[in-house]
Amino acid sequence: MDRILVLLHTDADGVLSKTALEVLSAANALGGEFVVGLCGRDVQAAADSIAGCGASRLLAVSGDTFGESRYATDAAAAEALCRAAGAGLILAPASVRWARALPGVAHRLAGVIDTHVTSISMEDGAPRVGRWYYRQRIEAALTRTKRPWIVVLESGCAPAWQGEAGRVVLESVEVANAATRTRVLGVHSPKANEQTIRPDAALLFVAGAGWTKKQADGQPHVDVAGELILGFLRNSAASLGSSKSLVDLSGEGQAVLPFLTHMNQVGQTGSTPRHPKGLATCCHGEEPHVVGWRFINDRRAVNLDANCGWARGKADVVYVADAFAVMARVNEILKTRSAAT
Amino acid sequence: MPQFQIVVCGSIVPDPLQTLEPVTGPAGPSLKNELMLPAVLDPWAGHALYEAANLARNHPGSKVYLVSAAPKAKLQQVMMTVGQKAPFELVAIDASASGFTEAADVAALLAGAIAAIPGLDRSRLLVFGGWESASRGAGVTMQMVGERLGIAEQFLAVDQLTVGEDGTLEVLERIEGGSHQISSCQGAPAVFGWATGNLPEPRNNPQVGMQNMRAIMPALQKAKPASTGVPSFVSVSLPKQQRETRVVKDLTPDEVAREIVAWIGEN
Amino acid sequence: MEPERQQMDVDIVCVGFGPAAGGFLTTLSRGLAAGDGAPALESIVAPGMPPQVICYERSDDVGFGVSGIVTRARGIRATFPDLDPAAIPMAAPVREEKVIYLLDPVGASRRSIGLRAIDSLIRSFRFGLPLDHGAIELPYTPEFLRKHGGMVMSIGQFNQWVGSQLMASGAVQVWPGTPVAQALIEDGKIAGVRLVDQGVEKDGAPGPGFLPGMDIRAALTVVADGPVGAVSRQIDAELGVPQGYQRRDWAVGCKFVIDLPESCNLEPGTVFHTLGYPEPEIFGFFYVHPERVASAGIFVPSWFTSPVRTSYRYLQHFLLHPFFWRYVQGGRLRSWGAKSLQESGRRGEPFLAGDGYARIGEGSGSTNVLTGSGVDEAWTTGTQLAEAVLELLREGRSFTRANLESTYVARRRRSWVEKEGRIAEKARDGFQRGFLTGLAGMALSGFTKGIFTMPARVEEPYETIPTPYEYYRGRISDHEIAKIREQCAARCIPLHDALMERAGWPAIEYDGQLLVSHQDALLMGGKVQAPPGYADHVVFIDPALCKTCGSPVCVEICSAEAITPGPDGVPVFDREKCVHCGACLWNCTRALPDDSGRTNVEFRAGAGGLHSVEN
Repeated sequence: MDRILVLLHTDADGVLSKTALEVLSAANALGGEFVVGLCGRDVQAAADSIAGCGASRLLAVSGDTFGESRYATDAAAAEALCRAAGAGLILAPASVRWARALPGVAHRLAGVIDTHVTSISMEDGAPRVGRWYYRQRIEAALTRTKRPWIVVLESGCAPAWQGEAGRVVLESVEVANAATRTRVLGVHSPKANEQTIRPDAALLFVAGAGWTKKQADGQPHVDVAGELILGFLRNSAASLGSSKSLVDLSGEGQAVLPFLTHMNQVGQTGSTPRHPKGLATCCHGEEPHVVGWRFINDRRAVNLDANCGWARGKADVVYVADAFAVMARVNEILKTRSAAT
Repeated sequence: MPQFQIVVCGSIVPDPLQTLEPVTGPAGPSLKNELMLPAVLDPWAGHALYEAANLARNHPGSKVYLVSAAPKAKLQQVMMTVGQKAPFELVAIDASASGFTEAADVAALLAGAIAAIPGLDRSRLLVFGGWESASRGAGVTMQMVGERLGIAEQFLAVDQLTVGEDGTLEVLERIEGGSHQISSCQGAPAVFGWATGNLPEPRNNPQVGMQNMRAIMPALQKAKPASTGVPSFVSVSLPKQQRETRVVKDLTPDEVAREIVAWIGEN
Repeated sequence: MEPERQQMDVDIVCVGFGPAAGGFLTTLSRGLAAGDGAPALESIVAPGMPPQVICYERSDDVGFGVSGIVTRARGIRATFPDLDPAAIPMAAPVREEKVIYLLDPVGASRRSIGLRAIDSLIRSFRFGLPLDHGAIELPYTPEFLRKHGGMVMSIGQFNQWVGSQLMASGAVQVWPGTPVAQALIEDGKIAGVRLVDQGVEKDGAPGPGFLPGMDIRAALTVVADGPVGAVSRQIDAELGVPQGYQRRDWAVGCKFVIDLPESCNLEPGTVFHTLGYPEPEIFGFFYVHPERVASAGIFVPSWFTSPVRTSYRYLQHFLLHPFFWRYVQGGRLRSWGAKSLQESGRRGEPFLAGDGYARIGEGSGSTNVLTGSGVDEAWTTGTQLAEAVLELLREGRSFTRANLESTYVARRRRSWVEKEGRIAEKARDGFQRGFLTGLAGMALSGFTKGIFTMPARVEEPYETIPTPYEYYRGRISDHEIAKIREQCAARCIPLHDALMERAGWPAIEYDGQLLVSHQDALLMGGKVQAPPGYADHVVFIDPALCKTCGSPVCVEICSAEAITPGPDGVPVFDREKCVHCGACLWNCTRALPDDSGRTNVEFRAGAGGLHSVEN
């Protein structure tokens, strides 16, 4: 049985993310002993919050340098924690920081790494991971004999760990060389009311190119489409996704929805978000788009074409209807309800 | 104004709209009809290449290399569509472009090829690539290439790179929740795994193509065969994705809206 | 104001990369290198270098947007004497070849009295005849149809195979994704080509990233852009055509590439030619490739006068015929495609050469309309031109009309392509007078080697198309047709599904695997795509003329539903769905008032199309 290290970092506000807590659960589920390694500006509070997680040791790298998301310092910290733990199997959450830093750490440790892992289990006494290839179109299970083996787990693969907080004693780990020529200047976020990507939303709302096409009266109604979509996002707190064709339309000189960027794009060359539910509108349900829905459990679509891709086993429910009319009504109902409460 | 040597790492992937099916052979998994499937430059590597070309154009005296590990015949075919887009010098490695290969092995090949570029000046070196590939989709190769080249200034999911007069690199990286982190790096060498960036795909330029191709063919002829390993796959399969779709045809928009609202409210 | 254009000089520029250009460039590239690999000839535009030869193909890859075939491969084998079909994916030697007459299993096919009588006879004598799943095999395949010793193959794969060898030779450059807008015609001579503008709006107006199409100047322009190529048609319009030239016979070929079910035991190399169904005018084919893959398709010809002619729907009915359904049931659609075929053959031959240019391939009238063979002929004309060009280069002679005629055209006139093309020239005329007369005409031409033919006046396609009211008279009332038209127009869909089903064709039950909606097919086998920044390549020249049409066959025949009914009767074109088959060009029912040889559809060079290499 491999010695396991759960490698976590705190977020900017000093707490552990939901994904980090999920990795703790995943480690617990594997059975056996595990060590937690923490990295951050000040990790004591975070360590205390997981006092009851069952780790045999809690290692820490802390200090201002390690409070920032940056390759050189993150890789140095992770390397030091891995070496201190002497682990054969290292589990880490799929955060931007670890996604950036851990591949280099695997190289420094002469180990191996698998990222975007969606499942991990013990089979015949050895860890086995599941991950996807070719943009979520091919599913694979694999194992490795080489150690250390870093496994970066996607969010949503295990329940978030819940348990007792307490006061824990951290073993501080020295970092040998964290020299860097990079300074983190800050974060540029869209304004709160312009924020359309909401990873924790219960619902993904996908807008397809149909919103900008000519409607029954022979005219496009892009302004109306924009209002309906933004109105829905306001009323439902959903996250906004889009098909590739819609974000690409700008290149064709067509009227487009100004709040959409490539970051909203879901599918083959876009993102593969995780939400419990997804609602597709004015989108044909083409395979390259639908691969981005791999982790959307409950799927519904509104489309005028009863033969669209969604109707072919890609959605649970397809409403053959005009999305303009439907979403206008949905917004009215949601608005009335929120006014009532 | 700083001048750069920009090395873009980028391989080929099946045209994204092809039907893919895995098959397992003695050397591990591969795609059915892999050599028949039309291929394209990996989309994120493509963004990296176009960003590199743009950077080189804005910094006269800079040069762009494209280092690519892929089956020679397929790479040649892809060069026929990429070669007119941007001026670059190809460094080709005749190796598998499969997503199932070991990323660390691919990184070793790429780093070796970069280190062997004649006249490489590390103080001017920017290593570009996609933040992940459309084949393995791991997002690990660029960091390993960087490590092998001894570069610890690395950026992932980059959408924008601005070069200051003094060579300072201001970088926008995608982070959680649709935001960007802004960092500043004191110049080359550095590694950049690009997300989409902000540039449109360049137009086909026949003069660029004519000039590129004169060097591309010799580079392909010089490409040395190299092999890569694969992890121990237990299974490789297509997901079972068929759902029992309920097609609702005869409801009014109001009825559909009510059903949707009720569904959104369910836990 | 004319934008400033960049210019590039090369020695030879070639328009289009299909079998003809493949034959041309393969033969040429071999001649450009000496035995030791050193250049055998010198470029004029780049002294000290070998001749600069460049070929531009409009589709996004050299293997996209073309068709699967059976060919005798005489010309191809002459170029590659040691050709092993196994080296080309999807190629197999012809193993068995049958001609099948398909009876109508649904009773909706429009059959003449004569044909009905024949069908009744066959059914009456079914116990004495080898009737098999509603079809009967003709006792033998006429020699002129036989492809024994030949191959079935995918032209997409063949083009890739040829293209990769060409590029590896380093002697020539082939650039896909680069449509050629027009030839540069100066004082009756061709001085090169102009590429299409990039970074433009749908209507061609400059947009973001505008890049005016570059002028590629060359001493020789080789025109190999196929039957509906924009450069070919421009040259014909501006430089004229020979006396007797006519291009009035056309067909659209539509086919599926199918993963056959495990239960299917057809051997690779099996070839079926069919006639009789889904309509008597529609011929079909079924070729079996290695690894349990088949190409199945039909030809919808211009002399099938239905105003709601469609190829995709008819192809589904063809597959559902019991003769084929037993083979394909449970199979999966891998890919599909469509293209126009120029069926006038030798009679559609333009001037083959002029000052600074030469024409090869299907667009040069090389297709043999009797044997139904075009690829091998096209390839051969390419090799003939290459031999001529090498001869002229070696002798330091220029590419004038006289020099090209004495070398290229003379070679072509002496060859089997010409001899057999002459025999075939009028073989299909009889179809103008009906299906049975047409068959008799083909047999007459075939067996007498063209000495006797079935005389008939060949009309322009637009002259022969009745209105839906005329076509369905006695079967569907005018009132009902008007109502259907109204409903379809409101939904912006073609008429054919509704009218065919009203006329007795059963609805297609989609299974999501092999039988899928036309729109879903656009997403299969690589999907139809169009890169941004190019203008619409299908243009309705005079919208006022469209408004007088009332029966837009362009909408019905469109192989990808890229043309749909639009406001005021002017159809709407969606570039992102177009597979560039060119059927709209010859299915337009409106001739231009000042030019009866041209219709109201302008089919220009455009980028994009189907991303399948299996066709």
